[in-house]
Amino acid sequence: AGGGERETEERVWPGINRKSEVPWLETVSFGGVCISLWPAAGPAEESNMLVFLALVSVALVTIAPQSQAIVIYTGWERHALVGSEVRLSCSFFSWRWTSEDVTFSWSYRPDGSRDSISIFHYTGGLPYLDNKGPFRDRLEFVGNPQRRDGSILIKNLDYSDNGTFTCDAKNPPDIVGRPSSVRLLVFDKLPVQAGVITGAIIGAVLGLLVLIVVIYYLMRFLVARRVFNLSVSKHGKKAKGKEGSQQRQPWRVPPLSFLSF
Amino acid sequence: MLVLLAGIFLLHITAIILLLVATIDNAWWFTDTMSTDVWARWVKINNFWNYTDLPGHYPQEYLQAVQATSVLACIFSILGLFVFVGQLFTLAKGQRFTFSGIFQLIACLCIMIAASIYTDIFHKDEKYGWYGHSFILAWIAFVLTFISTIIYFVLRKKTA
Repeated sequence: AGGGERETEERVWPGINRKSEVPWLETVSFGGVCISLWPAAGPAEESNMLVFLALVSVALVTIAPQSQAIVIYTGWERHALVGSEVRLSCSFFSWRWTSEDVTFSWSYRPDGSRDSISIFHYTGGLPYLDNKGPFRDRLEFVGNPQRRDGSILIKNLDYSDNGTFTCDAKNPPDIVGRPSSVRLLVFDKLPVQAGVITGAIIGAVLGLLVLIVVIYYLMRFLVARRVFNLSVSKHGKKAKGKEGSQQRQPWRVPPLSFLSF
Repeated sequence: MLVLLAGIFLLHITAIILLLVATIDNAWWFTDTMSTDVWARWVKINNFWNYTDLPGHYPQEYLQAVQATSVLACIFSILGLFVFVGQLFTLAKGQRFTFSGIFQLIACLCIMIAASIYTDIFHKDEKYGWYGHSFILAWIAFVLTFISTIIYFVLRKKTA
């Protein structure tokens, strides 16, 4: 990639009546990807295009390092029942390839407390689970670090597990990033989520309406076709003409006096 | 006759407007510092109205049933208007506007369900407070849609 080549091929560009004399094969590389661009017109436009490309390349090269921050995604809130288990998912986005030294860290801050305690760490290809803290024997690593997934599974939940879980992932050399938090809420009875019943009722009724309308028109169509087939078999082509004109009512603007009791 | 058509149209559109106001405006129940239901609550704090969630002790299923049926009433009424206009052009002579009547009937039933559930379940033990304009409009819309239904079921198309 890079450099410019001159080719004296003759090309006809759509919409332009004359054959282009000097089509430049210009390749520009940025971000490791080569793109070749063919300007569509004569030399004046070519130089404009080159200036534009140069500016874009410079802009991307200067912006690129700043956009190389790692972005971590967890959920916002997780609801779970007492005694059940919950999966806290954590994944990240990074411009770099997933390195072998990728690390995941989970820490926990109980509701109402200001201190957080580290409960999980994945490094050097091995997960390290909490064996002394509040989650000993209840944690399980269910993620796939090579697929950028650092999820953990917490079993046998209790009310004391209410709190904020923070996931921090690092993908060397891409280490600048903001950890992301997910709140865990433990219920004894799962509350109905806002809008589920509403949506279900509205959806069901409207779906029923659509179904009824479709069935009605289908029935009408089938009955009309059946009548049509019968009349064709009985009367031949004569009936065909009659059916066609009967099925369609002429559309006219209705006169103003057209309602009565 | 044109007056009759305009009157029927106006009745239907008024019913739609009342239904929309009742559904959208959070004003089913008032106190001096609060205007609430069915979606959220406006609370007056330090002379500023704040938009807050409905309290958790509300029976969720009934609340969502009120939400769903009031929305359905709006939808069916609006669809009924289009069905009525369609039927004006496509009905044969002497036939009744049953389809439009059915849509208005469903809208009437839905808003009746919504308003009834709200009347019977919410704010029963609260001494302090009064019903707001959305609640009243919901009941008035019930009456209007009922009248509209009757009209559509009785009305006949005179000339094709």
